[in-house]
Amino acid sequence: MLQVLKSLRLTQPTRFASALSSTATNIPSGSADVSAVDSGEPDKLYSKLEIELRGIDPAVLRSYTWFATTAAEHLGIELGKCWSPRKAHHERMTLLKSVHIYKKHRVQYEIRTHFRYMNFHKLTGSTLDTFLEYIERNLPEGVALQAAKTELQQLPAHLQQPPEQV
Amino acid sequence: MNFLKKVTTQVLPMAEAHLSLGNNSALHTSAVCCRVQSGRYRITVKRDRPLTYEMANPPHFIGHRKSWNSWNTSTLKDALRPSQTAIEDVFIRKFITGTWHALVCSEIIIKRQHNMIRIAAIIRQAISARKMYFLIGYTEELLSYWMQCPVTLEFQTVADKKDVVFKYI
Repeated sequence: MLQVLKSLRLTQPTRFASALSSTATNIPSGSADVSAVDSGEPDKLYSKLEIELRGIDPAVLRSYTWFATTAAEHLGIELGKCWSPRKAHHERMTLLKSVHIYKKHRVQYEIRTHFRYMNFHKLTGSTLDTFLEYIERNLPEGVALQAAKTELQQLPAHLQQPPEQV
Repeated sequence: MNFLKKVTTQVLPMAEAHLSLGNNSALHTSAVCCRVQSGRYRITVKRDRPLTYEMANPPHFIGHRKSWNSWNTSTLKDALRPSQTAIEDVFIRKFITGTWHALVCSEIIIKRQHNMIRIAAIIRQAISARKMYFLIGYTEELLSYWMQCPVTLEFQTVADKKDVVFKYI
């Protein structure tokens, strides 16, 4: 775990710098404060950003995935698996077709929810915030986005040293 | 379904034949199968009812030939406040058709993004541009006060009502 962290630390600064320089042209106002703030504490590291999209129209989801992955490519973010389940979730309601009687004649209404998943790997905290805000702001109507981040952390101090007495 | 329809058309002359013989009790009636009329428009005798493209396509073409009128995330799985959104959409539609009286030529499309509501429709150019600007401001102001969020109108205009007519039935 520690070795992974170290290697990441080594590789991060260059990518971080390149990402920021390219975001300056891409991002509209509102996220400019990300580059301006220079706090002393080191940036957080994220091993994975998993994004789940839900929508009613699969074509819109496909187009938005294309947009987000292309943006990630331009920013130099490592792209993981992008996939969608083959079948949508169907929520069905079976009602009487007629107002009052005729129980044999029913009508079915359904609401479909299509899912789509995207994975991005090895981001710094500022890159992740910038990228996430950019794709969130460009979210089309009727599409829900859920982001799950996996943060890398140092091993806690009580686990770094072997215990003196077992 | 088509099969059943064909059968009923073939059965009808037989029923008429029975009726003409005066044998009324032989006629068996039941609930009509495959009779769906919601969201569809009836053919007139003169075939002069104008339909827009939206109206010409029945509801089962939603998502195939035509699209949804409300774009929001509240109907998705595990989503919040579906009923409130639906009621608000109905209210917005009623308010706009009433405010832009006899001017709206199409369906009113309501798109929700973040906390913003964008409303699109096609308007007839029957009133002066000045009145139209007033109505836009009036509608946006009142709706954003009621919905407690920014509302934007994205109207397009057509010169004549016939420009949006897709077919006559």
